[in-house]
Amino acid sequence: MLELITPLFLTLIVGGTIVGIIFGSIPGMTATMAVAVCLPITYSLGLENGLALLLGLYVGGISGGLVPAILLGIPGTPSSITTTLDGYPMAQRGEGEKALRIGIVSSFVGGLISLLVLWLFAPTLADFAIKFSYVEKFLIIFFALTVMAALSSDLLMGIFSGFLGIFVALIGTYDISNGGNGKMRLIPPGTEYWMEDGFSLLPVLIGLFGLAAIFDQAEIGVPRGHSRDELRVKGTSTFSLSVFRGQIVNLVRSSGIGTFVGILPGVGGSAASILAYSNAKTFSKHPERFGKGEPAGIIASESGNNGLTGGALVPLLSLGIPGDSTTALLIGAFTLQGIQVGPLFIGNNPDTWNAMIFAMLIANIAMFVLMYVAIRYFALVVTIPKHILFPVILMMCVIGAYTINYGIMFDVWTLLIFGIAGWLFIKLRLEVAPFIIGFILGPSAEVYFVKSLESFGDVTIFFTKSWIAALLWVLIAGSLAGSLILSRRTGRTAPE
Amino acid sequence: MGFLTDVTIDFERSHLIFPTIIACVLAVLGLAILVRDRHRIAGAGAYWSGVLGRMDKMRFFGTLVLTLLYFSLMVPVGMIWPNTGMGFLLCSIPFVFLSGLLFMHDRTVRNIVPVAIVSLVAPPFVWWLFTYPFFLTLP
Repeated sequence: MLELITPLFLTLIVGGTIVGIIFGSIPGMTATMAVAVCLPITYSLGLENGLALLLGLYVGGISGGLVPAILLGIPGTPSSITTTLDGYPMAQRGEGEKALRIGIVSSFVGGLISLLVLWLFAPTLADFAIKFSYVEKFLIIFFALTVMAALSSDLLMGIFSGFLGIFVALIGTYDISNGGNGKMRLIPPGTEYWMEDGFSLLPVLIGLFGLAAIFDQAEIGVPRGHSRDELRVKGTSTFSLSVFRGQIVNLVRSSGIGTFVGILPGVGGSAASILAYSNAKTFSKHPERFGKGEPAGIIASESGNNGLTGGALVPLLSLGIPGDSTTALLIGAFTLQGIQVGPLFIGNNPDTWNAMIFAMLIANIAMFVLMYVAIRYFALVVTIPKHILFPVILMMCVIGAYTINYGIMFDVWTLLIFGIAGWLFIKLRLEVAPFIIGFILGPSAEVYFVKSLESFGDVTIFFTKSWIAALLWVLIAGSLAGSLILSRRTGRTAPE
Repeated sequence: MGFLTDVTIDFERSHLIFPTIIACVLAVLGLAILVRDRHRIAGAGAYWSGVLGRMDKMRFFGTLVLTLLYFSLMVPVGMIWPNTGMGFLLCSIPFVFLSGLLFMHDRTVRNIVPVAIVSLVAPPFVWWLFTYPFFLTLP
């Protein structure tokens, strides 16, 4: 493993973290976008070096969101929504730098706790999952989709989006290498030449997360950049670690919540920080202070969203199921290098696994040191005009899509198709995360389902194969029932 | 009772089994959405006219048109100098500049100069990076 840790490896982690922080700091740009845009750079880097860059971008991107959340009251990334609630009031009363440093320390602790969980839990889960047959593998995917749909803002739309993702993924040939019969299906007449292999994963992801975000910003007129005068970093109140006195439970609990939410497939950082924040408020002795500049709120939100980073890698590296949209993009990096993630990944690639853990650790340390020391300079990133950034990002999206299959123009058009689709998803209230997970897991789900039926010739096998299958059905029913009960209690209804 | 749950898969038609099931599930879910959200769907016309009304049409449709032109011209331009990536380079420079202008709010010389510099520097740098160190062919 030590031979993998080269100066280039370390430089890529730190460089990725810096670029990630920059992406996270600019409202409208996310960690997912940073990973999407930088994916083509990993083609020539090799797996470990490529992952070093992408993991740095991931940690930096999630962390950078706290900068505009605190200084401008605008979350840089969806995962920083709750950071604005207490961070911005603190900045307004001259405690901007203090609030930023509380957020940075909390992010660091959240990241480390989730990394520990990843390190301990993923190999165990993978060892357990190795024993799964096609039946259990199919049910795991089904369970992942129901959990994701259950946690969507609209259960019905969430399930529909997940199945739509599976349907779109089935376009093309039933792959012979996976035991299929090599015949094409669902291809519009006249497009067989381009669509024989269906839509490639990366152009779909880059379109949905890169191009769609730019269309979304263009629709609202590409908001003006922020001037330096709006940033209230300096203040009279300075940061000291004594702020964390009495907050250790909050810090550990919120990091744990973030990690747990990360482990749930397809659930993003916004859910992690909102859950952590609402728990911190519930258990606080002074809930009335929340939303008015309470440091405990920033601690909960930031440790929660960074807790997601390690957690989201657990299902990816042990089951091959991405924990959130950014880790879905990491599948693309593995695919580029010809490696399949799943239960066998850690056992077959121990060096890559150790390199990933090490990269995450260094990325968290780099994020902490860089942001803590240079927060005043990172704050200036908010002022970079979007009319300079967006055209360059769009150009990078094109490169990413074009080079994925070594020069197929149809992939560039796929980028545009899914860029427009991503924008339409928002308008039609479809859910992007379940769609993506459905799209990624659809082909595997098909193979597991059809091969199970071919082998056993009886549909009851999905219920009777093993106690794990029965348990998974209980969990599937539980997640759907839980969502329905929650929806009735909170009066969640169809959006008007 | 076992015969009710028995399934025989015809390998020659096995590529249609899963898509058919998923299509049926989608149809059922679509129907459920149609029933539940019938009032919202009935008011879709007003919703979309509201979206269009609030939209910054120049920037949204401008982005769409520029992107379409960018993608469409890349290959024909690249065909003039095959396998050099010139299609990407020569189309990216005006695309970055024009979309920069499109997204800009105050089109003063002070704001336009940095966009012009970025559009002259970024595409050649990316072209060089992918063509030489990475050995990847661009259109």
